[in-house]
Amino acid sequence: MKKQLPVWLGFALALVFLPSIFDSVLGISILNQMTIWIIFALSYNMLLGQGGMLSFGHAVYFGLGGFMSVHALNLIADEVFVFSITLIPLVGGAVGLVAAIFIGSFSTRKSGTVFAMISLGIGELIVASSLIFADFFGGEAGVTGDRTYGPPFFGIEFLQDAEVYYLGAFWLFVATLFMYLFTQTPAGRMANAVRDNPERAEFIGYSTRRVRFISFCAAGLFAGIAGGLFAINYEFITEENLNALTSGRVLLMAYIGGLGFFIGPIVGAVILTLMNSLLSNYSEMWMLYLGIMFLLTVIFLPRGFAGFIMMHQIAWQNRRLGTLILPYFVTAVPALVFLAAFVGLVELSHKGDDILPFFGLSLGAESMLSWGILLALAGIGALGVKLSRPRLAAAWALANTPTADDRGDVR
Amino acid sequence: MFEVFVFATLNGLVTGLLLFMLASGLTLIFSMMGVLNFAHASFYMLGAYFAYTLSAYLGFWGGLLFAPLIVGCIGAAVERYGLRRVHQSGHVAELVFTFGLAFLIEEAVQFFWGRDTKNYQSPELFDFALFTLFGQEFSAYRGFMIAIACLIFGALYFVLTRSRVGIIIQASISHPQTVANLGHNVPLIFMCVFGVGTALAGVAGVIAGPVLTTFPGMATVLGSIVFVVVVIGGLGSLPGALIASLLVGLLQSYAIAADVGMPELLHLLGLSFDSSHPLNDLWTLNLPQIAPVLPYLLLVLVLIFKPTGLMGNREQ
Amino acid sequence: MSLLTLDSVCKSFGSTRIINDVSLDIEAGEKHAIIGPNGAGKSTLFHLISGRYNVSSGAIGFKGEVIHNLPPYEIARRGLARSFQVTNIFPRMSVFENIRCALLWSEGYRYSFWQLLGRQRTLNEKALDVLEQIGLSDKAQLPSGELAYAQQRALELGIAVASGAELIMLDEPVAGMSNSEAENAVALIRRITEGKTLIMVEHDMNIVFDIADRISVLVYGEIIATDTPQNIRSNARVQEAYLGEVPSDAKGD
Ligand SMILES: Nc1ncnc2c1ncn2[C@@H]1O[C@H](COP(=O)(O)OP(=O)(O)O)[C@@H](O)[C@H]1O
Ligand SMILES: [Mg+2]
Repeated sequence: MKKQLPVWLGFALALVFLPSIFDSVLGISILNQMTIWIIFALSYNMLLGQGGMLSFGHAVYFGLGGFMSVHALNLIADEVFVFSITLIPLVGGAVGLVAAIFIGSFSTRKSGTVFAMISLGIGELIVASSLIFADFFGGEAGVTGDRTYGPPFFGIEFLQDAEVYYLGAFWLFVATLFMYLFTQTPAGRMANAVRDNPERAEFIGYSTRRVRFISFCAAGLFAGIAGGLFAINYEFITEENLNALTSGRVLLMAYIGGLGFFIGPIVGAVILTLMNSLLSNYSEMWMLYLGIMFLLTVIFLPRGFAGFIMMHQIAWQNRRLGTLILPYFVTAVPALVFLAAFVGLVELSHKGDDILPFFGLSLGAESMLSWGILLALAGIGALGVKLSRPRLAAAWALANTPTADDRGDVR
Repeated sequence: MFEVFVFATLNGLVTGLLLFMLASGLTLIFSMMGVLNFAHASFYMLGAYFAYTLSAYLGFWGGLLFAPLIVGCIGAAVERYGLRRVHQSGHVAELVFTFGLAFLIEEAVQFFWGRDTKNYQSPELFDFALFTLFGQEFSAYRGFMIAIACLIFGALYFVLTRSRVGIIIQASISHPQTVANLGHNVPLIFMCVFGVGTALAGVAGVIAGPVLTTFPGMATVLGSIVFVVVVIGGLGSLPGALIASLLVGLLQSYAIAADVGMPELLHLLGLSFDSSHPLNDLWTLNLPQIAPVLPYLLLVLVLIFKPTGLMGNREQ
Repeated sequence: MSLLTLDSVCKSFGSTRIINDVSLDIEAGEKHAIIGPNGAGKSTLFHLISGRYNVSSGAIGFKGEVIHNLPPYEIARRGLARSFQVTNIFPRMSVFENIRCALLWSEGYRYSFWQLLGRQRTLNEKALDVLEQIGLSDKAQLPSGELAYAQQRALELGIAVASGAELIMLDEPVAGMSNSEAENAVALIRRITEGKTLIMVEHDMNIVFDIADRISVLVYGEIIATDTPQNIRSNARVQEAYLGEVPSDAKGD
């Protein structure tokens, strides 16, 4: 913990100063989304990455927490209860926790496929019930609330997104800290052990079911907190926030970021939120790109982006990271050319009569020349990657062999 | 009452057999490779879309012949260039891969065919009523669907129990290592099984497309239900898959047809609540409303009480 | 009173009976070896005692309590620790974490999620101490899945003995090791089981005769003899059924 103090300080400082750097309306809105998704993705990783439980229904806890939080906002507005909305995430967390205690009591008996299927079944059940119980879930339209009622918090009434951001950032910091600390406790460490080898864990005195149950409840709690933040930020919530799409999305984030690392889901949540908010403005095809990126990640970066960064640890220890810069650059340039051409082709095929601006060129779907240019660029890019890859591989191998003077070092 | 029952049974049979066409391929793939293919229903959707496009040039029958072939080839390619690599990273990675694949295929379908519903029609040949019962018509096309499903079950059963290939496949199901040691090319078998499994899904898509409408969400509609079916039946068990398919098909069909619910139940118990009760939604619930939920309820119950499923014998 | 009692224990898989009417008493402090040909059911017997399998009939008692058909963790908590014939460790966790996890329950941490492991000085020192004993101190931070085979076996042993259980059961602890590695392992077993009760399955007769106070011979699921090493050596039935297979011994006619 002591060694990591600078990291946590840096994290806190970043949270404080980020809105000053990205101070546009869009910037703040993206930051707000990130606070929610990071907590949610981290909580998901408590299940999958730390505990080896593949869930297809984690949005249930997020959504239930969110729904209850919106109702809590309304109760505050109606002055049934009077408390500061800064505590709403706790409402969400409590609901997530209760739901997880209930569902986890039978679903954590097994891990693997059985667990995954139960989570899927429960997810579908809850979604279906949400459409039936229209009073609580508001049917297809969902429920809406208003965060500006309730006693002001030191004069802050949360009228502005920036104020909401600092509330979210506070909860993000607290939740992240506690989720990290959880990994350092006996229960958290045994979750890893049960993930690695459930059988042996039983022979050192631990009930695998109980260990899974504890992780499961903790994950439900933090998912609920994220749901509460969602409620505050958007002031409405619909059935979509607890269905399989949302569950899939958080799985995607954790996986792309890297399951094996605490920081992985944070990376994943940041990347996906950015793509979601930025790409969706530019292209209708962004979901297609997302799908392709996801599959490529699963195939080529099984340990996610965080794993990719960590792969360079040895080169770093060998003090040879620098030797990789040039080969990376030489491969990256044609790869980017290929990527740009590919995106151009995809976009052009759906432009109809419109003009596609492409790095200063004006391309049209009617003109053969436009297609020719893009195809040629794609070909050149692919060829470039193919030609430069052996050199990158060689440089990689070299950077990972120990240097002569520290060959004796075991680590 | 009786006529409702008969038609509910027939409709349930059609749905059940359709589910089975998907479930059989999924079961085949799972028992061989240990992979639950999340994208299975996406191949079914691809089957429908390819058949739609092909039928414009080759007619319905051309579509029925070639669309599954194309789907099977795509499936084999996915196994060869995707799944096989991911296999090294473990089962979770494989599951996640197929999950992502389902997502990608849905997007790709929207990219190539657009978001709107396709006007994919059953052939005019079947535009007559097979029989009329209690004044209701049972269309010939539904009869055709039943026939195809039975044909597939028969063929699968025959291949698996009577042919050399089937014996190797059965052996690979229970003892993959031994089969590899006997010198069979297990990766090749895997690729073929994946191809055949997805092609079966393609067939289902071709013949379901006209009835259940061909649109980009059709995979999602059926996807998780098929999953439910194979898990209820017992992972890796073909007879289990058949039973569970029929069970789920009939269950849903009866639930939709039966016009009873909580009001009747409460009436029977002599209870009543007025409509301002906070749980009013619960007290007015009826069976058709919860029909879509029933398979999932069944799934959760089966998994809690018999994690191996009805006919299965392995858990993971 | 005996520490562990097996009373007419039977185990069948389907219709095949693998363990047939085994009765055995192990005294506290005893070093007991179980020998027998491959497939005799030695590992199965271990699985029955440690709770991995339920018995088909019969009873098993440990410290005066009935333990058969309890889940493994209940049995482990009562002071029984075991190793496996096939290495069974936590491959993605570091060597140090493997040992520390093995210590957690016996050190009373249970399912605590309010204590930070880094702060538990006694616990960490104990873990380091076990690492020192099994000779893996310099590999402490390595993921255990990356260890060499003999080192993984040492870790396997370490996980079994870390908790300081009264009864330690080792299933072929030195199988697959080279001679010098096996020698180290035997010295290690001796050292860490001092003052404890040990049940060990082993094929190497030198090791068995060296360590054991008493030996049981298991053949086709039945114990045909339980006695001191000297008497086992001269037992006619044992020679016929088991030791007779050793080519260097006189084969009779
Ligand atoms: N789970 C099981 N199901 C069926 N048979 C088993 C099972 N476990 C062990 N056996 C059988 O029990 C016999 C004894 O096995 P084992 O206890 O491993 O022998 P040993 O350890 O003495 O070499 C073997 O014939 C083995 O095939
Ligand atoms: Mg053995």
